[in-house]
Amino acid sequence: MFGRVRSLFRVFTRRRDFEEGMSEELRFHIEQYTDDLVRSGMSREKAARVIRAELGSPLNIKADCREAFGVHFFDEFRRQLSYAVRLLRKTPAFTVTALLTLAVCFGANLTIFAVIDSVLLRPLPFPEPDRLMMIFNTYPKAGVDRDGSSLTNYYERRGRIPALASLSIYSYGTEIVGEPGSTERLQTMRVSADFFSTLGLGPAIGRTFTDEETTYETDQVAILSDAFWRQRYNADPGMIGKQIRVNSVPRTVIGVLPPSFRFLSSDARVFLPLASRPEERAPSRRHSGGNVIQMIARLQPDATLTQAQSEIDAQNAALEVDDPQAKMIADAGFRSLVVPLRADHVAAARPTLLLLEAGVLVLFLIGAVNLVNLLLIRASARIKELAVRQALGAGWRYLVSEVVVETTLLTFAGGLLGLAVGAGGIQLLRGLGADRLPLGSHTVFDARLALVGLVAAIVMGIVFALPVACFHLRRHLGNALQSESRGGTGGHGAQILRHSFLVSQIALAFVLLAGAGLLGLSLQRVMAVSPGFQSDHVLTGQILLPWADYSEAGRLKFAESLMDKLDHLPGVLSAGVVNNVPFSGNIGKSATTIAGHVRRPGESARGHYSYGVAGDYFRAMGFVLREGRFLAADDSRRSERVCVVDEDFARYYWPHASAIGQRLWDGSEAGKDAEGFTIVGVVGGVKQAGLTENEAQGAIYYPYAFRIGDSVFVAVRTSLPPESLALTLQKVVRQIDADVPVSDLRSMDIRIADSLVARRSPALLAGLFSGVALLLTSIGTYGVLSYAVAQRRREIGLRMALGAQPGQIRVQFLSLSLRLLIVGTVLGLIGAWQAGRAMRSLLFQVPPLNVAVLAGATCVTALVCLAACLLPSQRAARISPMETLAEE
Amino acid sequence: MSKTAELLPGTLDMLILKAVSLKPLHGYGVLLRIRQISNDALEIPQGSLYPALYRLEHHNLIASEWGQSENNRRAKFYTLTPAGRRRLRDETAGWNRLARAIAAALNTTSEEV
Repeated sequence: MFGRVRSLFRVFTRRRDFEEGMSEELRFHIEQYTDDLVRSGMSREKAARVIRAELGSPLNIKADCREAFGVHFFDEFRRQLSYAVRLLRKTPAFTVTALLTLAVCFGANLTIFAVIDSVLLRPLPFPEPDRLMMIFNTYPKAGVDRDGSSLTNYYERRGRIPALASLSIYSYGTEIVGEPGSTERLQTMRVSADFFSTLGLGPAIGRTFTDEETTYETDQVAILSDAFWRQRYNADPGMIGKQIRVNSVPRTVIGVLPPSFRFLSSDARVFLPLASRPEERAPSRRHSGGNVIQMIARLQPDATLTQAQSEIDAQNAALEVDDPQAKMIADAGFRSLVVPLRADHVAAARPTLLLLEAGVLVLFLIGAVNLVNLLLIRASARIKELAVRQALGAGWRYLVSEVVVETTLLTFAGGLLGLAVGAGGIQLLRGLGADRLPLGSHTVFDARLALVGLVAAIVMGIVFALPVACFHLRRHLGNALQSESRGGTGGHGAQILRHSFLVSQIALAFVLLAGAGLLGLSLQRVMAVSPGFQSDHVLTGQILLPWADYSEAGRLKFAESLMDKLDHLPGVLSAGVVNNVPFSGNIGKSATTIAGHVRRPGESARGHYSYGVAGDYFRAMGFVLREGRFLAADDSRRSERVCVVDEDFARYYWPHASAIGQRLWDGSEAGKDAEGFTIVGVVGGVKQAGLTENEAQGAIYYPYAFRIGDSVFVAVRTSLPPESLALTLQKVVRQIDADVPVSDLRSMDIRIADSLVARRSPALLAGLFSGVALLLTSIGTYGVLSYAVAQRRREIGLRMALGAQPGQIRVQFLSLSLRLLIVGTVLGLIGAWQAGRAMRSLLFQVPPLNVAVLAGATCVTALVCLAACLLPSQRAARISPMETLAEE
Repeated sequence: MSKTAELLPGTLDMLILKAVSLKPLHGYGVLLRIRQISNDALEIPQGSLYPALYRLEHHNLIASEWGQSENNRRAKFYTLTPAGRRRLRDETAGWNRLARAIAAALNTTSEEV
């Protein structure tokens, strides 16, 4: 076998040597033989004749030799390739249509596949990633589905869960890094000492954190990402031991991560120890996760998820025995769930991606069916030629390989174009927010993708060749010659095949169109939802104040002086500060205790959105005042504690009475009387995380002094276009503190629009896909109808000669396409119904079977298909009887 | 012509291997050698000779090399490869078995039945 390949290779590379050698060898043979014959007394002429008779034609011998040596295969391939190129160039309309169809279909599929590959398929870049788990607390009955894990959870579980080989915690954050004057705000992660060993991938140089470094005061160390080390420190090999400033505090660099280190979607540049004080790890803090700290674990090699889950359940149950809050926790439906890390991380993106993959596959199917149909029509046009060649002795193997070469050439070229379309498509998807998907920024157009595309192209070519080859081989030779010469209507079976392909194309396009319609309608309904505040003309930005530079009092002063400066700016109508604006992407709910509220049976403590506000936040955001008053600037400094709640909160606790004057405590237990807050106002409910949230969880707004966090958002209502105020806002902040940058500067309108990207982009893509599908379907309809007309020219000519009117002919073809259209639409309706059911979870206030969408899809499909048959029908009606009959 | 016999199918390869096994030969030499060793009793179809040589070379049973002919012309000489030698041995043994069996069958007399 090896020898064969080697000799083939040798021949392929030294083809000319082979041919020359063969000629020389034969010449030598003839000359020697001639000499011998002449020596035996024959004349030269006679000798030449004898040799010719005995040897046969040198050309035939050479052909036989090539075949014997395995060279003929390449010759034949080359011949068939150039024949295919000639044929394709003879029919440019077909070739261009086919290539564009293939390019679009391959490109769209490669694009979506690239995203699916990076988000759903490619394993996480850690050893044995399947053993990595995420563990989080959930309190479903308190309205808190996900609360991260607490420090207490971590220190209680560490080393005590046998099914886990390693357990660690982390939190995301942003810190100000750099020397005064050249600071920048960077993504960071705080991690426990065993974080890197849980993942199985640690620093490339230096070391990881130690347990001692996860305690306050001894945590002044940092690990850098490879990218940060290269960009900021020029890949300084002596970086270990040097100091960098993080939030104005110097830290010693102890390690640099390898370039391949990427934790989920995080773009963290600096890793710090997740340090805590012993009291933060106390049992009383067990349920204070607040979705800030997350827990990951690596299973033991032989352990299962179920095992780990039951061990954690058992430990939780044992710990709750002497917990004073045990009843409340149990009422809230508390559990700590163990889920696979990767699946958990991409769970939200999965249904949309699968939907898009389905859409793009349908598009591919339409394109493929379209091409097969066009190829079959093309094959019918060549029936006579092939029949003649078969009659003249062309073997079926040869004809089949000719067809395969032609279709594969076509699909391969289409595949190459598709690679270009795919590369562009990935750029387009980035613009549509694909890099904001979990793991979506890993989406790349690489050699692996190109290989997948080209292999698929070759397979497609072979698949396309099958029906065409069958079509040619199944036909009886004589039959083909006869039917064509008499101008018959061609095989009935072939016609049924063509028509059913067209019907399925119409049906599939209909399904795509209806699906896109459902998504579009959902998007429209979502956009019609009011966020609960006036989102226009509001600019917001996030400001991070380092704890090292700002005490709680300092933070309050910062907020107040910022408000003071902003209020005096021209163009600013009102300005306010808040821990977290709606649609910022951060959500956290806190437990609240209401004075005098007796829980109904089965009711647990509820988590509510809790904010601290300063300045004129409510007016800046355009909140509606339902009752009482907004918070005032001096509420932060008054001894009497007051707060404002939203109407959802008020309605939940006091459905039949006013909330004004009621008292509550921030926390899961009633505190001292002086620490209680009196409700002084009720504002309208607002959407916190997204327009589609249907659960009104209720929100509480405290004066800023009572709820100070590490970052604040500033909100400014302006009479100008909000973006035009961005520079001014940054300048004002820098005037107060030159080292504090404003980040995430976006108007509220943009924040809301950005929150819709997960709906808008799929709707847009589905619209794009269905547009292409309709185009392909119209091409298919046009092709099939044109062929039907061309095939029946003589019949039409004859009928017109016998008195048929052009109108009758036109109606005949239009009614044929109408019949196909109706069957296709009915099938499409069934498909659309199923597709709607499958995508129910992605719809918003739209039933899977929406009459308007289906009616719209029917109209559009009908219009496009009928428009596509007008031209061929018209052509049929204009056939001249004289010409067609004279052709025979 | 009466004293020459048609080649049985498949025997040309065997004869070529035999001819080449005695001494490296060019194509024409193979033809002459087969005539010589069969005492002119076998007629070689010359049109099939070269395809057979190329096939044997492709299957690695013979190897070729350019050299000088007796009258100082450039010619391609074929030699037997180890694989070819094995094949020749097997085919010779097979052929002999077959020939003996057929001869025995044809020599059977009525008494022996």
